[in-house]
Amino acid sequence: MKRYLSRRLLLAVPTLAGIVIVVFLLLHLAPGSPVSAIGGEASRRISQRAAEEMRRVYGLDRPLPERFGRWVGRVVRLDFGESFVDHRPVSERIAEALPYTLALNGLALFLTLAIAVPLGVAAGGKPEGPLDRTSGVVLFGLYSLPSFWAALLLQAFFSVRLGWLPLFGVASDSAPTGWAGLADRAAHLALPVACLTYGSLAFYARLVRASVAETRTMDYVLAARARGLTRRQALWRHAFRNALLPLITILGLVLPGLLSGSVIIEKIFAWPGLGRLYFDSILARDYPVVLALSLLVAVATLLFTLFADVAYALADPRVRDGTLE
Amino acid sequence: MNGSIRTRWILWRGMPASGRIALAVVLALWAVALVSPFLSRRAMEIRLEERLMAPSTAHPFGTDDLGRDLLARVVAATPLSLAIGLTSAAVSLVVGFLVGSVAGYLGGTVDLILSRLVEVVLCFPVLFLLMALAAFLPPSPSTVILAIGLTTWPGDARLARAEVLKARQLDYTRAAQAAGASMPRILLRHLLPNALAPLLVSASFGVAYAILAEAALSFLGVGLPAPAASWGGILSAAPAYIEEAWWMALFPGLALFLTVSAYNLLAEGLRRGSTETGVVG
Repeated sequence: MKRYLSRRLLLAVPTLAGIVIVVFLLLHLAPGSPVSAIGGEASRRISQRAAEEMRRVYGLDRPLPERFGRWVGRVVRLDFGESFVDHRPVSERIAEALPYTLALNGLALFLTLAIAVPLGVAAGGKPEGPLDRTSGVVLFGLYSLPSFWAALLLQAFFSVRLGWLPLFGVASDSAPTGWAGLADRAAHLALPVACLTYGSLAFYARLVRASVAETRTMDYVLAARARGLTRRQALWRHAFRNALLPLITILGLVLPGLLSGSVIIEKIFAWPGLGRLYFDSILARDYPVVLALSLLVAVATLLFTLFADVAYALADPRVRDGTLE
Repeated sequence: MNGSIRTRWILWRGMPASGRIALAVVLALWAVALVSPFLSRRAMEIRLEERLMAPSTAHPFGTDDLGRDLLARVVAATPLSLAIGLTSAAVSLVVGFLVGSVAGYLGGTVDLILSRLVEVVLCFPVLFLLMALAAFLPPSPSTVILAIGLTTWPGDARLARAEVLKARQLDYTRAAQAAGASMPRILLRHLLPNALAPLLVSASFGVAYAILAEAALSFLGVGLPAPAASWGGILSAAPAYIEEAWWMALFPGLALFLTVSAYNLLAEGLRRGSTETGVVG
């Protein structure tokens, strides 16, 4: 166990270094600068001298290794500089957007698991049964359904046609207080959460279904049935517990997928979260924000996978006492 | 070396009906793509007096904000969406196979380094990397293809590595090594044909994913440059008119959905075909 963990931690160091290098190179080797991104009429009016002055102020005229060194030095102190767009600290802009993304994706992930796990266990408990067949077809359809298309159709139907839900935004302009305000916020959350939920639903439900279908005929599950446990008990206490292992590993990598989906959904629903911030910053070539966001997300993902591996080691007795490396 | 031909036959025989239907749909889509350049260009003309018309017999899919026939636009976009999907998935497969098979074959330090590389790429949200690449490189179809290929290869690499690790110990690999075959020769002539079935499954899922990725990029406005329009590009105009023209959202997305499901279903069929007939061990 100790050996497994220390090896796992050691391997994360080069990955971390790789992340830092990729983030830096990706953006600093790219053509185009915030100066040219001002664009159109304005950029033609910026004189050569003014452009050079701007590059100097932002340190863009320095050689690459020097820029890298300075950047790493500041980043370890969690100083990401200030945004090219509004000159506020990058960390401030990220901190503002973070709660919105957490609320949206946290809710979506919770709903996903709350539906996917029971569905997967029920479907996997009786492979090729009626529930398994119908849920299989429906989930397959949802899996192939592009989220931005679904978002547009839901808007057209629920917001435009029926007028039940708001088109986009976080809350109404004249947001009421108390319970009515809460209902208003929930109405704004409904469509984006639905869009983020259905896509990952298929993935998790199929994963749980596959592992339960595989373990349900194993000797220890049959033995549990023979000892007099009901079918439900045998499935949940024995077959599903084993199916938790692949689920833990997959959940370690949940973050990048969630944020990818969040970019599109936050844009369509004008949700002021991290995905939207990233999108806007890319278009504005706001390097400090793009760099900081990519780096933070990638490092958070690395930490998640580390946690998942530790949790896996704790959950799997074979890894726990070192019989399986 | 008739392994690949045998594999193909076995895959077809073992494929469920849904997979065969999906294959027919994919072929039909490609047929549409091939004839689309010969269809009337007139339907695509801008006619402002016919803008935002609801579906009718004259315009089965309705017209867009510039009065262009949406059916004609969706058909005209087919070759672009399909070709970009296929080539991006090919790039991803080639890079993934190279990295994964070399890592699996050589093992040791090389494997350790290449596996870290895979891990690094996996830590980033695909769309983050995609948008950065697509927005910062000069906009063109090849940029989009490279961006998608270079962000989605880790999945293929993991698969190829696992397949090579399995086959490395087998007699036929040992025999090839004993006969003095070089590493590229062993990888390409011996290991690749035997890993073809799982790679084909992965490639088919990969095409579906690449078509979606391109559509997402073009929808967000960082995909293909303006005059060229893929299904995602046509869809990008829909949000602005969501209150008066639902058909601008419905039909281009329907084409996208049909294509993505067909490729996914084909992949699923190939997987069933290969596992049930024992091509995949």
